[in-house]
Amino acid sequence: MIKRLGTAAFAASFAIAAWTGAATAGEVLDRVQRTKTLTVAVGTDWGAGSHLDESHEFVGYDVTIAKQIAASLGVEVKFVTPSWDLIAAGNWDGRWDVAMGQMTPTKERAEKLDFPATYIWGPTSAVIHKDSKATKPSDLEGKVVGVTSGVTGEAYANHNLAPAWLNADPITYQFKPGKVKTYGTSNVAFDDLRLGDGVRLDAVIADTSIALDAIKAGYPLRVLEPALFNSPGDIAIQRGDKEFSDKIAAAVKQMKDDGTLSRLSMKWYGVDYSKEQ
Amino acid sequence: MLYQDTVESEVLVHKPWFIAAMFAVVLAVFLMVNLTGTTFGELMRPVIGAPMQSGIYGRVAIAFVIAVMFCVNIVLIGFAPLKAQIGIVWIELLALFFSFFKAFNLSMPFIWENLPYLITQGVVTTIYVSAVSLICASLIAIIAAIAKLSSNGFAYAIANFYTSFFRGLPLLMQIYLIYLGLPQLGIVIDAVPSGILALSLCVGAYMTEIFRAGIQSIDRGQWEASRSMGFGFGLTMRRIILPQALPVIIPPMGNTFISMLKDSSLVSVLGVWELTFLARTLGQPTFHHMEMLITASLIYWIMSACLEVGQSRLERHFGRSKVR
Repeated sequence: MIKRLGTAAFAASFAIAAWTGAATAGEVLDRVQRTKTLTVAVGTDWGAGSHLDESHEFVGYDVTIAKQIAASLGVEVKFVTPSWDLIAAGNWDGRWDVAMGQMTPTKERAEKLDFPATYIWGPTSAVIHKDSKATKPSDLEGKVVGVTSGVTGEAYANHNLAPAWLNADPITYQFKPGKVKTYGTSNVAFDDLRLGDGVRLDAVIADTSIALDAIKAGYPLRVLEPALFNSPGDIAIQRGDKEFSDKIAAAVKQMKDDGTLSRLSMKWYGVDYSKEQ
Repeated sequence: MLYQDTVESEVLVHKPWFIAAMFAVVLAVFLMVNLTGTTFGELMRPVIGAPMQSGIYGRVAIAFVIAVMFCVNIVLIGFAPLKAQIGIVWIELLALFFSFFKAFNLSMPFIWENLPYLITQGVVTTIYVSAVSLICASLIAIIAAIAKLSSNGFAYAIANFYTSFFRGLPLLMQIYLIYLGLPQLGIVIDAVPSGILALSLCVGAYMTEIFRAGIQSIDRGQWEASRSMGFGFGLTMRRIILPQALPVIIPPMGNTFISMLKDSSLVSVLGVWELTFLARTLGQPTFHHMEMLITASLIYWIMSACLEVGQSRLERHFGRSKVR
């Protein structure tokens, strides 16, 4: 909890303190059309969503969708890779127009960002070492749990996840960790968990898809059923530009309706995550 | 003695009490760690039988052999001339270091596949950011050092505030402040210039103090003498003060440059694709991150070693007057 108030909150404090971070209507759309480029924030380490292939080009579910949105706007796409803290802090100052990254709309984030469209519905699970005796999430009561800083899994562990998406069910917390350890990336948390059951961690809360990737890569881990919660992953833009928001919403709706999203999800995840769960 | 003279004395590593002490220490250390399950245990198989079943006898035997090897090694090295000693110890430490990494079971094909990209993208960006910051920092430092030594209260106060502020804040905070804070004033700068600005200002503050200390290390008599001969400020600096101050300034400067090369890794939080950023992210999707981190560490080391060589060359050049 303390750690979470570190860099992300530090970065965020700038955003709120001096400027509300709101773009004036049409400003972002104007810039995109004037420069003929859509600058998109993605990551090189976001698993199947966005990473670099063998020739070090961007590929992944998020990347493909970003390219299609740019195509529907009739502009070129350009990728930048700010850290997640900077993206989630808002106040982008026009450095990038759109952030992918399957951001879950929460009340905190909605104060700084707009979420025009949901493009993925993903489960978040508790992951344990394969030698662990736990069989259901509630077995983790009082255990040491690792999370990535600034993501919904961390909010879940600290029991302060406030969903802000449409038709959201209130979150029911299935266990209260004895201690929450916060990591910069989920990979380091998995590295700690693989050392053995209870050596440094008893469990990690992470996106199920990333956990399954780790297991595929030979990590001695197991995903606890059922998933802790399902949350939507949205495209995020700077708050306040209604026209730009509508354009993106329309582009994503188009992809959803013609089945592009399902197809891409099957391609990158092997599961159709594009439908609401 | 910490200076070289011509007095012949017995080598420390040949004194019996020293060898006995080293033997005892090494024996004690290796008795504490269990090496029976490692490659070394396998090598000892003819003596101790199956390594895992050898128990306490195996541990003692292994520790004993290592202690003997260590003592023989230092005694033999003691016979070699100085240059050879330095070379041998370096190579031995390096070999130990690599055998340590070998235990990580790294995927070499993955490293070879990504190494060219780490160099063409990562190293080039790192060197670019560091080199530009280095030049800017030096310029800032010269001006600020002169201001700090001047009798002008206004200049002194500004320079003093600057060094206090930028030495007192963590570099990461400075990078965030410049990247996120300046836009509040309407100045939006990109990630790379933000990083360069932060590095230049921070390193410049440290170098200000190095320059100031170097210049102040020269006796005031030198200033008085050159003034009495009618030298102006520029001529005094160029001909009298700097030639004497540089041998003092260069060792800490080299230190600062090396640490800056590595501090440039902090710019990776802004998404600049320098060495650390790529090292952190390239291996993530396939869970090969240890490979990339170790490769990047070695690259940093090689780059720092180049700077070390440059520093020792410069030191030798400017320290000519100290050699007999």
